Amino acid sequence: MKKIFLPFLFALLLVLPFFLPRFYIYLASIILLTGLLATSLNFVIGYGGIYQFHHAVFYGLGAYATALMITKANMPYILSFLSAPFVSAIVSLIIGMICIRLTKLYFGMLQISLGSLIWAIIYRWYTFTGGDDGIHGVSMPEMISNTKGAYYFTLIIVAISMFIIWRIVNSPFGKTLQAIRDNPMRSLSIGIDINMHKLIAIVIAGTFAGIAGMLFVVVDNSVFPDMMFWTYSLEILIMCLLGGLYTFWGPFAGATSIVLFRTFVGAYTKYWSLMLGIILTLVIIFLPEGVFGFIEKLWKNRDKNNA
Amino acid sequence: MFSTELFSQLIVGLSRTTILFIVASGMSLILGVLRIPNVAHGSLYMLGAFISYTVVNFFGEGAYSFWLALIIAPIIVAFFGFLLERGFFSYLYDREHLMLLLLTFAFALIIGDLVKLIWGVEYKSLTTPEILQGSAEIYGLPLPYYNLFLLTVGPIIAIFLWLFINKTKFGKIARASAVDREMVSAVGINVSLVFAGTFVIGCFLAGLGGALIAPIVNISLGMDHSLIMEVFLIVIIGGLGNIWGTLLGSLIFGLTQSLGILIWPQFGIIFPYLAVVVVLIFRPKGLLESTW
Amino acid sequence: MKKHIFFTICFLFFMVLSNNVYSADVIKVGIVDTYSGPATTFTQDVLDGFTLALEEINTKGVLGKKIEFVTRDDKFKPDIALSMAKELVLKENVDILMGTINSASALAISDFCKKEKVPFFVTFAKSDKITGAKGHRYVFNMNENTEMAGRAAAKVLAKKPYTKYWIAGDDYEYGHAIANSVFNHLKQLNPKVQKVGESWWKVGETDFTPYITQILSAKPDFIIVATGGAGMVNFQKAAKSTGLNKKIPFYQHTGIELSTLMPQGQNAPEDVYGTANYLFYYPETKENKNFAETFKKKYNRHPKSGALYGYLTAHFIAKAFEKAGKVDREKFIDAMEGLKLKSPIGEVEVRKCDHQIMLPIFFGVTKKSPKYDFLIADKIVSVQAKDYMPTCEEVLKTRE
Repeated sequence: MKKIFLPFLFALLLVLPFFLPRFYIYLASIILLTGLLATSLNFVIGYGGIYQFHHAVFYGLGAYATALMITKANMPYILSFLSAPFVSAIVSLIIGMICIRLTKLYFGMLQISLGSLIWAIIYRWYTFTGGDDGIHGVSMPEMISNTKGAYYFTLIIVAISMFIIWRIVNSPFGKTLQAIRDNPMRSLSIGIDINMHKLIAIVIAGTFAGIAGMLFVVVDNSVFPDMMFWTYSLEILIMCLLGGLYTFWGPFAGATSIVLFRTFVGAYTKYWSLMLGIILTLVIIFLPEGVFGFIEKLWKNRDKNNA
Repeated sequence: MFSTELFSQLIVGLSRTTILFIVASGMSLILGVLRIPNVAHGSLYMLGAFISYTVVNFFGEGAYSFWLALIIAPIIVAFFGFLLERGFFSYLYDREHLMLLLLTFAFALIIGDLVKLIWGVEYKSLTTPEILQGSAEIYGLPLPYYNLFLLTVGPIIAIFLWLFINKTKFGKIARASAVDREMVSAVGINVSLVFAGTFVIGCFLAGLGGALIAPIVNISLGMDHSLIMEVFLIVIIGGLGNIWGTLLGSLIFGLTQSLGILIWPQFGIIFPYLAVVVVLIFRPKGLLESTW
Repeated sequence: MKKHIFFTICFLFFMVLSNNVYSADVIKVGIVDTYSGPATTFTQDVLDGFTLALEEINTKGVLGKKIEFVTRDDKFKPDIALSMAKELVLKENVDILMGTINSASALAISDFCKKEKVPFFVTFAKSDKITGAKGHRYVFNMNENTEMAGRAAAKVLAKKPYTKYWIAGDDYEYGHAIANSVFNHLKQLNPKVQKVGESWWKVGETDFTPYITQILSAKPDFIIVATGGAGMVNFQKAAKSTGLNKKIPFYQHTGIELSTLMPQGQNAPEDVYGTANYLFYYPETKENKNFAETFKKKYNRHPKSGALYGYLTAHFIAKAFEKAGKVDREKFIDAMEGLKLKSPIGEVEVRKCDHQIMLPIFFGVTKKSPKYDFLIADKIVSVQAKDYMPTCEEVLKTRE
């Protein structure tokens, strides 16, 4: 059944714009790119066991790269789009190299401080980055400047990206990464270069986060420094947690819930942070594997009992 | 004149340091002993400021209300922390740090909105107590008495904390539990109570920081977000669980920020982050010994 | 896998659920503003003034319809403001958009409204780009902007004997805009003035001692202090505790407003110069007294500037629709241009060429009052719009 579900979903997504009002198409685009972002984080935290505490930085950098290339440098669109993953990859490489010597919490802390430094620079560099006003009204090529066009562009790029990530996860590299996560000592003893693997994983995650950032600019035509503020990094983490840190599609589903929640609940109540906090508390206490991890476990148990 | 500005900035930087230090030491304790990165610490600080506002208004604008608030507000915050610890954290100590961090983040969200619910969204404002109003004139330049007050409070609290952690029985047990909780428990001590006590003290400090800063800032929502990252970084560069390290970290942070703004106003705020990055690259575990 | 189906269904369900039926017998106004954090003290007034006006309007209705509104909280963030605006226009199908206190948000939404051809009323953001450089047919500004405030203040300051000016403020767009606007026009009117120094601090700064020290040692005659909403009270507190207000006179836009003075009670500094767009106790006309009393009775507090803006916006919207004759956005805009209205502070007009409201500005000095437990403005000079506003040519030139 799993084999036909994904194509079915994809087909559904293809025809969505034909019967949904514009606002929902826009929302769907946001969900798609946020799902990619969450999955990229999951790649490095869930599959890699690396404490990537400030993932939003790469997302924001990708977005800013694209926006700045288009508005300040007047670069052709293709180059601007490509600059996003390029910039994110380079920065994640640099940050990765600086932090890689540290483990666990310390890695996370150093990354947070580096990320905050970058945020502070972008935030204060008003003349170049627009500071806390951000940049808006970024122009887009004709074909994708409307809601539908942006949606299809996003859909295609997200689909391709998810496919690539899927392949990497299931490749020998991906398996090695998980082995390192589960038992670093053992992996070291059989000759695996732990740091190199982790570094590559960080760069991959950062690259896809940058792509997600670029897609945001396409869909929303704007960038804001809040995209790389530490609270957003935590929000992405929550998406992964909600959906299930160790599953492939979990974070995507988590992202969907959070975006929908933020849009609909946030619109109707002043206290959506309160609700988010309560839900998060419940999830952590009762379902540490995330909602989807939990359902998957149930499913597996069911299979086991039936077998 | 450069030197008077410098002097002035230094005083300001140092009084900021006091508040940072008090709040950060609370977080350092919690992180060092309980191994919980308490993202809600900023919210507790904010809670302290708001409660202080209410207490002062309750007792009227008399001279004593501020000092009362200074005692009552942190106690209430500490009690609230106690409820949180007993009600939630104590069941989750053996979970991964990540989970605990996210749980404290959830509480930060909840407390943030609770403050909004109870006190509303408008700015609140407190005046400095009469005794401390006005300023001393040094070389014709004003130095507000309240800032001088803060400058004395900081070191007093530092010494008090240091004595508490190193000279009292509770302090020694707490330090031991940070390093090896199984061993402490095997010796027959109720580690859970130790943790509760430490957490309560940490929360008290956060509330105290909030109560102390209340007269000189706008008491508003968003205080939690602006403080928490700074406090977090201070604790990291100082060394987890190390009071002197936290003091050192606060000094570095407070001073680099004040001086940074003096030297390069536009990008002044990046100096503390830069300092943190430099420290962490060369001494990733913090400047002074940490309990981990 | 089953969970994925579950999720898709949830999504579609949500979508269907929230697709409200568009009822044609109301005029829907969407308000995007900051209802969390410190800005709320201002925006709540806008909303309350707006609601008060609606009560009056809806007794008769407009073209046989009632005006309804929905609000969205943008949390003072431009990205949330923009997505809320999109939601209101694309999903809620509002006829008119209104908001917000954050200038960056206002500009972002203005961009969007231009693309979607939806009329947008700015209620508290003060960037002069709104009707100036980034102005267009679909945006209206219902409060003063930094250019206007600066010119009005300069007009009054030019008559004063001070020549050595120090400029200080919040280091962001608003701060610089106000400071430059005041000083540049002051210099045009009084060539004798000179700038002896500047200081800029980060937004949200709470400790002004080093800056005040710096200024005191430079000994200027007068200081132009360009703080934004949040910084007003903080700076005045610092001025009081360092005694700055007694040593060197200084000016702040909105320095004499209730929002700045009320939280400080009797402890606010005296002799602070300021401008304000609305004072509930001045002018003591019948209209103003009526408005202030009605507002106080309903909301249990005195109205501040925001209340006036909200009130005016509602009445302008109603009158423009009446004049247009039907609920048509383009006809509505045509009707708005040049529209005049009787208000608590006299007749006001929305200028045709740039869609900027023309308001009188009041200049005064803070002083204790036996009547109230907060300070009020004294020696009030009111500067009429036609005397200080930039001309149509000047404004339209910035749009090129």
